[in-house]
Amino acid sequence: MTAAVVARPALDRPVRAPLGRLLVSELRWILRRPRTIIAIVLLSLVPVLIGVGTVIAGNANAGPGGNGPGSLFTILIGNGFVLPVLSLTLLLAMLLPLLGAMSAADALAGESNHGTLRGLLIAPVSRARLLGVKAFGVGTVVFIATAAVALVGLVTGVILVGTDGLITLTGNTLSFGDALARIGLSVVWVTFQVWAVAAIALAVSAFTEHPLVVMAATLAGALVFAILTVIPQLDWMQPYLLTTGWTSLTDVLRDPMPWDGLIDSTLKAACYLLIGLSVAYARLSTKDG
Amino acid sequence: MTTTSLVEPGVGAAVAAPALAARTRGLRKTYGSTVAVDQVDLDVPDGAVLGMLGPNGSGKTTTIRMLLGLVQPTAGEVELLGHPMPGGAQITLPHVGALVEGPGFHPFLSGRENLRRIASAEPLMATSAIASSVDEALSRVGLSDAADRRYRGYSLGMKQRLGLASVLLLPRRLVVLDEPTNGLDPAGTREIRRVIAELHAAGTTVLVSSHLLAEIEATCTHVAVLHKGSVVAQGELAELLEAGAPALIVSTPDVELSLDSLRDNGIAARSTEDGLFVELIGTSAPKVVKVLVESGAEVHEVRRRRTGLEELFAQLTEGETQ
Repeated sequence: MTAAVVARPALDRPVRAPLGRLLVSELRWILRRPRTIIAIVLLSLVPVLIGVGTVIAGNANAGPGGNGPGSLFTILIGNGFVLPVLSLTLLLAMLLPLLGAMSAADALAGESNHGTLRGLLIAPVSRARLLGVKAFGVGTVVFIATAAVALVGLVTGVILVGTDGLITLTGNTLSFGDALARIGLSVVWVTFQVWAVAAIALAVSAFTEHPLVVMAATLAGALVFAILTVIPQLDWMQPYLLTTGWTSLTDVLRDPMPWDGLIDSTLKAACYLLIGLSVAYARLSTKDG
Repeated sequence: MTTTSLVEPGVGAAVAAPALAARTRGLRKTYGSTVAVDQVDLDVPDGAVLGMLGPNGSGKTTTIRMLLGLVQPTAGEVELLGHPMPGGAQITLPHVGALVEGPGFHPFLSGRENLRRIASAEPLMATSAIASSVDEALSRVGLSDAADRRYRGYSLGMKQRLGLASVLLLPRRLVVLDEPTNGLDPAGTREIRRVIAELHAAGTTVLVSSHLLAEIEATCTHVAVLHKGSVVAQGELAELLEAGAPALIVSTPDVELSLDSLRDNGIAARSTEDGLFVELIGTSAPKVVKVLVESGAEVHEVRRRRTGLEELFAQLTEGETQ
């Protein structure tokens, strides 16, 4: 890049804007969008709500420990480190994918709708780069939201219950450092899962200029997956459904930690991501600007 | 009088042409069974201000979008700044500023932030120059005072100006403006004209589309008239203005007398408000003047009719619809 704008630069080779500048510009745009900020703030209030609600509801409902989110509620009382993981588990079911879908809807359909996608294509930003920048932006928003939920959950949990280490579902206690590492792992894992959903949403987003269509399609997809999961005759399908692996997030609260479920659903998410981005690129590369 | 300046599509190409900033050959675009653009052979000479004139739906925007590589043509070829499109987009488009189908900006961002975003995507923009280029572009279109207000609150004219500012972020080789005066008041229109004149003076080729004839007449050196997806005429504005059936406008109080004597001599004429209108078919101007003088009629003035572009435009488009 030259230091200053030259009057008539040579017209003989392809020139591209620095990738870093495009990424920063994309984040600037996303994080100045009021609805992104509002969504992240609301999502991070969820752990506060759960934490305060559970502690106030008190020990009355405390029952024997079992499995799944229900049992997490039980051990939450007296165990602040569980709150971030519990919050992420609950939000992963619907609200985080919704955030991913919203972000993906704005990324292509929304830009198309405002006529701003054309501006980027004329600049020009190549279509492959454009998709890369968009996928990066959506992933970053999901990561910020997930990290915010975990952080607020951690702070809330520590304030409400204290820092006496993490009592796992299997009964033993982890150190503060171990607990933090596991929460960090949850954040990364959840981000990747939601990013996969967002990649599918990006594919839909490339086909339309109505962000609402993207939201509706993603919600419908989530509902269909949920229905398929509960029909016994269709249980052969379950290994292929992204959502069925999501319960394995509670595995981070066991000791020793079983990796199978987490790795399995990470690979599954990678497939969804690849499919989503490929379809999105196939459409974007031939789309009229 | 030139023989004919209504260059038929295709004929213009035979003339040893100067360097072209943009060129299309046999361009065709269909959407399903709808033909949006057909057989468009457009030449945009380097350094010209070419006005693309046509009624709504005549294929102006589709042609522009194909020029910029936004749309893949169904058939035909496009060359922009000497490189084929859309393949050469990464080479040519950094040198091209374009405002297509109205300004596109984000309502929740300020005018300045919107421009920053576009500037960041410009390949030829140095990162250190973004802030100053944005400021300069904003002041060139008179938006400095409103720069930090949200785009949402901009008037139509301000939106159009911001679109123009995005084109002016960098010095360009070619600037494409699609209906730039839409929604502008007369002052805004004059400003667009001023900006186009400045670009022209700086050696930038400008392609501007409009359905308003006065607009083209006021700003352009060249014109291409589109109708129903085809170029029906193109060439230098001055030549096209003089084209059409030659005629004389005669200013005289003795209408009856002069009309009779002309008709006696087999010259077609009709009366107008303050004189005669004489078509120069099978006759010439000197002969008409001679007949008028010999008839003894008082003649105040005889002048050649300049075919206004408006008249030309009307002729061309009406001829097609019949």
